[in-house]
Amino acid sequence: MRPAAETKDFRRDLVSLLPKLRRFAMTLTRNANDADDLVQEACERAITRSHLWNGEGRLESWIYAMTRNLWVDEIRKRKVRAGSGTVDALGQDELSIAPSAEKAVYANQLQKMILSMPEGLASVFLLVNVEGHSYRETADILGIPIGTVMSRLSTARLRLAALISENTERRA
Amino acid sequence: MQQTKGHALEVRLSAYIDGEVGEAERTELEALLARDEDAKALFEKLKAGSRFGDTAFEDFLHDPVPLALVRQIKQGPGVSPKTERVTATAASVRNVRIWPRVLAASVALVLLGGSAGFIIGAANNVGEPAQVAAARGWLDDIADYHRVYSRQKEHLVEVPASEAPKIETWLASSVGVPFKIPQLGGKGLTFEGARLLVANGKPVAQLVYRSAEGEIFAICFLKNTTGPQSDNFDESIRDDLGMVSWQRGGASFVLVGPSAHVGMQDIAEAAAATI
Repeated sequence: MRPAAETKDFRRDLVSLLPKLRRFAMTLTRNANDADDLVQEACERAITRSHLWNGEGRLESWIYAMTRNLWVDEIRKRKVRAGSGTVDALGQDELSIAPSAEKAVYANQLQKMILSMPEGLASVFLLVNVEGHSYRETADILGIPIGTVMSRLSTARLRLAALISENTERRA
Repeated sequence: MQQTKGHALEVRLSAYIDGEVGEAERTELEALLARDEDAKALFEKLKAGSRFGDTAFEDFLHDPVPLALVRQIKQGPGVSPKTERVTATAASVRNVRIWPRVLAASVALVLLGGSAGFIIGAANNVGEPAQVAAARGWLDDIADYHRVYSRQKEHLVEVPASEAPKIETWLASSVGVPFKIPQLGGKGLTFEGARLLVANGKPVAQLVYRSAEGEIFAICFLKNTTGPQSDNFDESIRDDLGMVSWQRGGASFVLVGPSAHVGMQDIAEAAAATI
């Protein structure tokens, strides 16, 4: 059994991670409601499994991987429910735009533009470019090969560069 | 380090930006950038995308996190974030929910204009969005003030708690809201004093409290006779700050404190009962 004080510290660390965890979840789900549900589920799971956290490395990497696994499960369940049968979400190389991304409404135009990027790009960009994870760490968190991390990252950067002029036009 | 040879040039340059290429490849790519204008242009484009993305992702951190989720993590099971989701502070959400109402109100006013005159309807149409903006703006200002003032160790307040009677007279006349300083000792908070702020162009009273752990809380209020009068407490989180707001007696109130504190609503209710 994990000592109470240690559990309290873990919960406190988890709370301080919430904004970042929610941001990561948004790159996966691309809408706020799904992201909040996902974060909730991930936190519940992290707390029940906190005894497995060995304190080495970055706590967010451990929870990010958990969050990503939960989302893959959720996508799989949704596809089954929708009657499209089981799919190997991990093996999906095709990038597609989730319909929910188009429905999501956010005050911040930049956020909308980020979330409208093809699936998989925003997560890789966030982990490497914004949060400074290595390619190896990113590949482990997202469960994809390093080569995919590399190609998605460069694609994301070029997409974002293209969005600069789009953003400028919208603001003009 | 990654082996990028054989990949597209944008992939290789992207890895170069991240320092993920080996020494030999780094030298090779630097030589390429020095002599090839197209490669250099591509490199600059990748870097521009990186900068733009950094800025965009920074904005995500300012979104409010559901308060119930924070509570559940702090306290354990017993609170369901799914049933207590708080999204009140997201400007975008407010825009979505309020503008249709404003539009509906505008349409109603125009219809009424047949008998009451178009000019009256038009004047009201102009006024409504301004009120919406005001309601959204003052809480933003309060959050900003709190972040600055709560870190002031020697000058936390403008007038100390020892001058409580003076504070009540001074702020009531300045803000236009009669009040009594709530004693929140039962909630573990000690009154430290007060400040007069300006939020969204209006005078705002700020009553400052400190917990035994040194956390700073503030009750802020301003005169607002035009907003909806309701006993509802709206909870929200703005990064590190939790906010509980309510309307009463022609005034808008908000309790602001650390977002991780689990007793915000209780404190707000205690304050609302005695202020």
